[in-house]
Amino acid sequence: MRLPDLSYRAAMVGACESNLIGYPGGEERSIRCTSLQLHLEAIKNVSDYTGIPISDIDGVFSAGWSSELAEHLGLHPSYIDTTSVGGCSFQIHVRHALAAIASGMIDTALISHGEAGWSYRGMGGRGGGGRGEVSPAEEATAAYGIAGAPAQYAHAMVRHNHVYGTTPEDFAHISVVTRKWAMLNPRALMYSKETNPFGGEISVDDVMSARLIAWPMTLYHCCLVTDHGGAVILARPEIARTLKSKPVWVVGAGESMGHSNMVEMEDFTATSAHRSAKMAYEMAGLSPEDIEMAMIYDSFTITAGITAEMLGLAPRGRGYTLWKEGHAAPGGRLPINTNGGGLSFNHSGMYGMQLLVEAYRQMSGTAEDGVNGDAGKQTEASNCIVNGTGGTLSTTGTLILERD
Amino acid sequence: MAYEKPIPRQGQHTKPFWDGAKEGKLILPHCTECNRVHWYPRLICPFCHSNKLDWIEASGEGTLYTFAVQHRLAAGGWVKELPFVTAFIDLKEGDRMQTVLRGVDPNKPEDIKIGSKVKVEFEQANDDIFIPFWRVVES
Repeated sequence: MRLPDLSYRAAMVGACESNLIGYPGGEERSIRCTSLQLHLEAIKNVSDYTGIPISDIDGVFSAGWSSELAEHLGLHPSYIDTTSVGGCSFQIHVRHALAAIASGMIDTALISHGEAGWSYRGMGGRGGGGRGEVSPAEEATAAYGIAGAPAQYAHAMVRHNHVYGTTPEDFAHISVVTRKWAMLNPRALMYSKETNPFGGEISVDDVMSARLIAWPMTLYHCCLVTDHGGAVILARPEIARTLKSKPVWVVGAGESMGHSNMVEMEDFTATSAHRSAKMAYEMAGLSPEDIEMAMIYDSFTITAGITAEMLGLAPRGRGYTLWKEGHAAPGGRLPINTNGGGLSFNHSGMYGMQLLVEAYRQMSGTAEDGVNGDAGKQTEASNCIVNGTGGTLSTTGTLILERD
Repeated sequence: MAYEKPIPRQGQHTKPFWDGAKEGKLILPHCTECNRVHWYPRLICPFCHSNKLDWIEASGEGTLYTFAVQHRLAAGGWVKELPFVTAFIDLKEGDRMQTVLRGVDPNKPEDIKIGSKVKVEFEQANDDIFIPFWRVVES
């Protein structure tokens, strides 16, 4: 293939160092710099040098630090790249940034490096994955016993209930309907009582009477924990046309982040999906009314409910109604999570790949290929919005896919 | 009795906060340019991106933004305290703090009211670290 000609499509406009470099504090290490500090000093300096306000940065690139840096700076970038492949990471960041700028996705890319190789030598510096530094966010949250995602997500459900007058029972409908889809998918863990003692049909009462994980969320408000492997190949149109498999077109794409730590989440009933979806809709020239099916990250019922609102598929506070009123169910007007979701199909920790595999199957007409589904799972939808949520309602990626 | 729950490790950019905690004071990072308080501590103001930061003594008052009751998942010694109430507190001076909420019954979550007034208190964990917790004082 011929590489795109991106020459002159972006320029480096400044490059600065942190205030201290080398052996700050000398052999005695009377001063120790943290990696975080080195990053931020350099960022402040390059902002001052170029006159580009930090708030204008819309792409953040670093070797493993991007969400922490963006949060620290209060940024909500629309391009997040944290490629960490050793010393050449930064050359690669430049190339990625060039592609992002040339494509029109962002205007300003920040590439940042901070590494306390001397100050924390032998103490396992961050990035080396050791014990050295502690981040201020960690200091602020470590004491309070929070363990695992459900512990945090439950706070969002309580807030949603408070602001919109919703109830945990409203969200239980998401579990019930998603289970109906799983019952059409023999690969789903909860396909039937034969595949799992907890499998098969469930009711709102079943959801509400299950054991409490983090009030108000019961076990059935939470996703499964399973194994999964998945892979996707993309190719340019000339190649895609010649293959025996069907092409599914990416017509819209967006990404954004709200925060990294939940303590920085501004509104516990809203995620950055409203921004990533806006980008995807604009790129596709589509609006929420045009969407025919959705694959929505359902780590918890609250995740799916809020995300449906952020994607514009339902008004604020009313996302759960898509399930409660049956629209999201098999045969409904807007099928959602046709594989049975993270709630009843499979959730390995990072569920984004499962979303992609099912979206491809639906859009290529292969959702009942005999491996993945019994009759009834394939929909008539000609497009599909796919939204992944990472962290604690933190980062989101939205795609809009279309049938050939 | 020894404190058996997780104890934050003090980093090197937060000394005034932990020094204050030792004296029962809530000391918060503050931007001298935009005059806003932020939490958690930053090296650059997350609102205006100035690096001219200092620390102010806060009132130790706030309101309950949201909460949850942990029934199953807990880190370290908190396992023995299940169920307990975790919460996010809107600080009187601005921005938000996570905590374990006191003065509430984890078995009666319906009695806990968002918007309740809360006050900070500190519990000694070791010689250096006093941990802030928030207590409902008026619901």
